[in-house]
Amino acid sequence: MPLKHIKWITGFITALLILPIAIGLVGTLLPAFHYFPPLGEYGFSVSPWINVFSQGEFYAGLKLTLITGIGAPILALWLALSLLAWGYQRPFFKKIEALLSPILAIPHAAIAIGLLFLLSPSGWLVRLFSPWLTGFERPPNWITVQDPYGASLIFALIIKEMPYLLFVMLAAMKSIQARESIHACQALGYSRFTLWRKVLIPQLYPIIRLPIFIVVAFSLTVVDLALVIGPNTPSTLAVTLFRWFNDPDLTMRYTASAGAIALMITIAMVLGGWELAHRAFSAATRCERSNGKRRGASDTLLGAGVIIGLITLVSAFTALILLPFWSLAKRWRFPDTLPSQWTWVNIERAAPLLMELSANTLIIALFATVIACGISLLMLETKRHQQKSSTNHEQQHAFDWLIYVPILLPQIGFLFGLHVLLIYLNLNGDLCAIIALHLMYVLPYVYLTLKGPYLAYNEDYLLQANRLNHRPWRHYISVKLAMLKPALFTAFAMGFSVSIAQYLPTLIAGEGRYSTLTTEAVAQAASGDRKQVGSMAMLQALFPVMVFWLAQIIPSRWTTWRLATKKRIIKAFTKKDKTCSA
Amino acid sequence: MLRVNAFSLSSNDKTLIQNLSFSIADGHVLSIMGPSGIGKSSLLNFLSGTLSPSLTVSGEAFLNDIALHTQPTETRKVGLLQQMPLLFPHMSIIENLLFALPDKTRKPDRLPLAHDALKRLGMTDKANALPKDLSGGQQARVALLRTLLSQPDYLLLDEPFSKLDPALRRDVRAFVLAEIRQANIPALLVTHDSDDAKAMEGECLELSIVKF
Repeated sequence: MPLKHIKWITGFITALLILPIAIGLVGTLLPAFHYFPPLGEYGFSVSPWINVFSQGEFYAGLKLTLITGIGAPILALWLALSLLAWGYQRPFFKKIEALLSPILAIPHAAIAIGLLFLLSPSGWLVRLFSPWLTGFERPPNWITVQDPYGASLIFALIIKEMPYLLFVMLAAMKSIQARESIHACQALGYSRFTLWRKVLIPQLYPIIRLPIFIVVAFSLTVVDLALVIGPNTPSTLAVTLFRWFNDPDLTMRYTASAGAIALMITIAMVLGGWELAHRAFSAATRCERSNGKRRGASDTLLGAGVIIGLITLVSAFTALILLPFWSLAKRWRFPDTLPSQWTWVNIERAAPLLMELSANTLIIALFATVIACGISLLMLETKRHQQKSSTNHEQQHAFDWLIYVPILLPQIGFLFGLHVLLIYLNLNGDLCAIIALHLMYVLPYVYLTLKGPYLAYNEDYLLQANRLNHRPWRHYISVKLAMLKPALFTAFAMGFSVSIAQYLPTLIAGEGRYSTLTTEAVAQAASGDRKQVGSMAMLQALFPVMVFWLAQIIPSRWTTWRLATKKRIIKAFTKKDKTCSA
Repeated sequence: MLRVNAFSLSSNDKTLIQNLSFSIADGHVLSIMGPSGIGKSSLLNFLSGTLSPSLTVSGEAFLNDIALHTQPTETRKVGLLQQMPLLFPHMSIIENLLFALPDKTRKPDRLPLAHDALKRLGMTDKANALPKDLSGGQQARVALLRTLLSQPDYLLLDEPFSKLDPALRRDVRAFVLAEIRQANIPALLVTHDSDDAKAMEGECLELSIVKF
């Protein structure tokens, strides 16, 4: 990009990134101390904190949040590492790798709804074994989903997080020369799992630390997933806060804001504790790593992780496959494994609603992602200029850490703080506001997906193009961006799926005036109308998978298609000429 | 005629080239040889106007007595050929050639000109092929013709033969020399290979490390 005034642009984008974060934080912090001009409160006091700490719900919620928010990442990390150690560079593992991106693309609410269909007492798993094995003629009186311990929530979180971690690890493997290490260790007689634990995982962990932190922060603060499959009364802290923020009694907002600050502090403390635990663990195991033992008890642990990991992956797929079953079922009585009668009527009846929801979802996703792609390109171009002019290539750019802040902060609280700003700007309930909030969460993923390929681009092509024919802007698009098509399309697909999954940003900025597939599916998940919820979740899953699929096939075939079309047009013209002259 | 006057180059207070002067007549190739790291590529960057700001240079360059070193890259009309042919992978061969034709070329002339170039290469059947379908030697030739179609006033060659296998190298060298003679522009070749220099049938300058 032939940019001028790089410093100004960098400053402007930095301000653009910081501003919403700062306002969101201030907008949460001030009400937490009872300062809230919109309600005419100008005095500071600590009463919101006293309120929070006197609520039994706060402690119960915090306990559940800590159990699910720490348990899920640890388990997901264990399973992902086990699967990686077991399958890395084995031929069949390529197939599992190929399955990762659809699971990654699918909004977590859709997976949670699928799990609900699979695991609930009247779900498919019980049906599969009833009545021939279990003897159940009607659904058992068990609590399998939304259990008070958060086990089903942990399971849902693992299904979402394990593929993500696996994906990140596979990308990181390239930078640690894993193949050489594996060969060297195998030659020394180390078992596969032991060599992974002693040699590769210690190298891998520092590279994937940040993605792990994102996963931890997500687990501690997730709202939509917890609403669908998490425990209620008491629910996790994030869900409790969500209820308080939406309380008709507006003074609950102060308590909720204080709770949101408490949740932020919790995240910081858990992440700090996580890092300390990691350091202590690696210090404690350092000597053990070089004790020369070729196999050990950890082999069993990783082996068990493989089995559980595979079961998790299979349940994720079964859950997804179940979504269309429900939307096409006419009659599906309890112990039947499959619907006894099929119909399109459910979908036909829901069609107007589904069309409206899909239109909203797609418009928001499209705008947010296209804008995010534009901003990412601008950011990466300024970063490239800075890298070129400085001798220290490893220098961290402000963007590189700033971009993570919105993902690490809890949406709950933070977004309500921003909502106050939207009210001031008279943008509350506006489509632009929804797109802007989506942009905040889409941008980091688009930027991070695009970063590697963009900075690795061989700039000589662009320089040569401009030497041949000096048109910097045009060539930036027709040469550089055209050559980066695969990366651009993947980044777009990534942003698109992130946008479709957003629940709180849509709800808070839209104030319920704009519903998307996600907000409606989450709202109705508990309604019991499985046929309608199934249709919504199915569409919600379908769009990202389709966009990912298109992003895979279009760039590699684009040039061939373009040339073939051109040839056909030329042929048509010459034929016409001939007939004219004849 | 391309003329360089008293060119000196230093990086981090270390002098690499001192007081280099030469001139190249139209249709001739001057070869410059020397160990790597001596600043050969920086000399080319100086002439093409893309020198990295971390280097300090002094000296002048003139093309037909018009100062070059004071102009920005885009007005210099420089042709540069590097190790990599840098054909745009998403464009067909004919599109790559059309890309280089100057704006002022009349529209009905554009396609015939590009096709003429292909005919000179003996590759008329490859017009709609993609660069990846061509052999390394063919790519190198297309890259040279593409550069020449942009009608540069002088040509810089940065080890353009080093990636080719030896059998091909001879053919491509002869092709390059013939094309430069036909275009009748001065050319500067930077190389490691003394055979390259010999094949260009022109003067050869050996750069060596500056000693104090």
